[in-house]
Amino acid sequence: MRASEAVPPLDTLVEIETPEHIVFRHRIAGPTRRLLALLLDLLICYAVVIAVALVVLVVTAAGSISVGDEVGGFFKAGLGLTLILLFLAQWGYFFVFEGLTGRTPGKRVLALRVLTVHGRPIGFGAAALRNLVRAADSLPSAYVLGALVMSLSPRFQRLGDLVAGTIVVVDQEVKVARPVVLSPPAHPQEVEGLPEHVTLDADERAAIELFLRRQDTLGPARADELARMIAPQLAARYQAAAYSPARLLALLYDRASHAGRNEGPVSSRNRAHSGGGASWR
Amino acid sequence: MAIASHVNENAFCERRQRDWEELDVMVLRASRMGVKKLDTDAILRFSPLYRDICADLARAQAARYSAPLVDYLQGLAAAAHTVLYGLPSRTRHLGDQPFRNLVYAFPRAVRRHRRALLLAACLFFIPFAAGLALALHDPTFAFRLAPEGMLKPLAEAYAKGFEEGRANGDNAMMAGFYIHNNVGIALRCFALGILGGLGSALYLLQNGLAIGAIVGYVASKGAGQNILTFIVGHGSLELGAIVIAGGAGLVLGYSLVSPGEKTRLASLQAAGREVVVLVAGASVMLMMAAGIEAFWSGSSVPTLVKRITGATIFVLLGLYLTLAGRASRAPSPRESR
Repeated sequence: MRASEAVPPLDTLVEIETPEHIVFRHRIAGPTRRLLALLLDLLICYAVVIAVALVVLVVTAAGSISVGDEVGGFFKAGLGLTLILLFLAQWGYFFVFEGLTGRTPGKRVLALRVLTVHGRPIGFGAAALRNLVRAADSLPSAYVLGALVMSLSPRFQRLGDLVAGTIVVVDQEVKVARPVVLSPPAHPQEVEGLPEHVTLDADERAAIELFLRRQDTLGPARADELARMIAPQLAARYQAAAYSPARLLALLYDRASHAGRNEGPVSSRNRAHSGGGASWR
Repeated sequence: MAIASHVNENAFCERRQRDWEELDVMVLRASRMGVKKLDTDAILRFSPLYRDICADLARAQAARYSAPLVDYLQGLAAAAHTVLYGLPSRTRHLGDQPFRNLVYAFPRAVRRHRRALLLAACLFFIPFAAGLALALHDPTFAFRLAPEGMLKPLAEAYAKGFEEGRANGDNAMMAGFYIHNNVGIALRCFALGILGGLGSALYLLQNGLAIGAIVGYVASKGAGQNILTFIVGHGSLELGAIVIAGGAGLVLGYSLVSPGEKTRLASLQAAGREVVVLVAGASVMLMMAAGIEAFWSGSSVPTLVKRITGATIFVLLGLYLTLAGRASRAPSPRESR
């Protein structure tokens, strides 16, 4: 593990650097989400086992009766097959799915994916290890040991994850967010008092953007209250006291995002991780 | 860079959007059907597109473009990274003779960990001998380890001998039972090794004692020859596999207790990679044993044939584990000793 001088942020993100020196952040899946995926997997897996076993047993029982075999030879063979199915469900289901695709059906539904700690897909070796050690994680019952180890691990790893060197992340949704549009559009008179170049630092920009995206879901009073947390400082900086706080933020954001690069004064807050905050110069 | 840095966000998106969408489609297809299903043109396009999006991401971050854009690029780059830096081809590390190398990997791992396996064998066979001796001396001792209701019919069944054989349906049922039960025991025996090796050790001790006591009880009822004939066919595979799985668990536990110069975590992970082949081999051995135990050991084949076959399997297994893969010994990169 690479030693970093900066204190990593207390968060459920894990940073992975690629050979192209691009840093991704994967969101580590929490225990609740993983528990739900597990329950779903058990449900799917044993539903299939029960369905197949029922068919097998009914067919073999009918077979036994039709050949007039009182000892039920066919039926007993069916029982044997059922036991093998149970074995495969217990030891094979997670191994095969995770080895092939890195995700079981339950994980797929909950948008989880198993990766190595280096952010690569796992193979059959890691899948075998993490799912064999499941037997230890589920001790003494209901995954108590696994949950305990997970809660002590910064990356929510259970024993199986620790041995196999894997993490479970929430799959990133690749979606284009709609850009923030100024509505209603700026009136020429309205922007007269604003400077031509508005520069916002990354934190200010992120905060305003988040606010503008949520604005529609907020009541006007609450929006006003939130906007007032930052608007006065900006109003002072750009001598623009005549606007309502929320509108001022929207106008400033619009100006800033249409003026190309938005290099602003570095925020006074200490940005510990240098993912996007570091100056490119 | 100087020019690019003055491009505003919308213009930047407009100019690059088409490439992003192209990559997005490819990533989606590759993650659904595997990268091998992409056609040649797509594969040729993939790598430059990925490099471009890495540059775009860096540019967007440096230029402080809006968060959703950066997130989008990051998500797309991460997804493309997962496709591009996927596993090395599953067979590449096995060389040009994958099957042969797999067959050799197991005995090599067994020999590499012979001390742990020897310890596991002691942990299993000493209690086995003790259980055997105690049950021969006092048959009721076995009742403490297995229910009386199970042991009595067992002894009677063995006393009858194998002249009648077993029905085929029973054989198939028992094969399922042996796979479900015995392979499960071996896998659990390995997994619990992560508790400092204690889990595996206890499992080995307990199983050794119980199996010894059961054999001793049956023998004390006068069916000793018969149970020996029954066990001899599959015993070397079955008991050997349990010892190997338990030994793998001990290696795992020992790596935690005594990590040497590595961190405990690194030591555990290295040991895990080492022993997974032992567990896989042990599972295969147990499945073979299940087949023999179900369809051969209880059959009406003459005793002498069974014993000769059992001895042959024992010798072959011993030769395989001690000699296979020695001559063309390729130094494995994971070999640390």
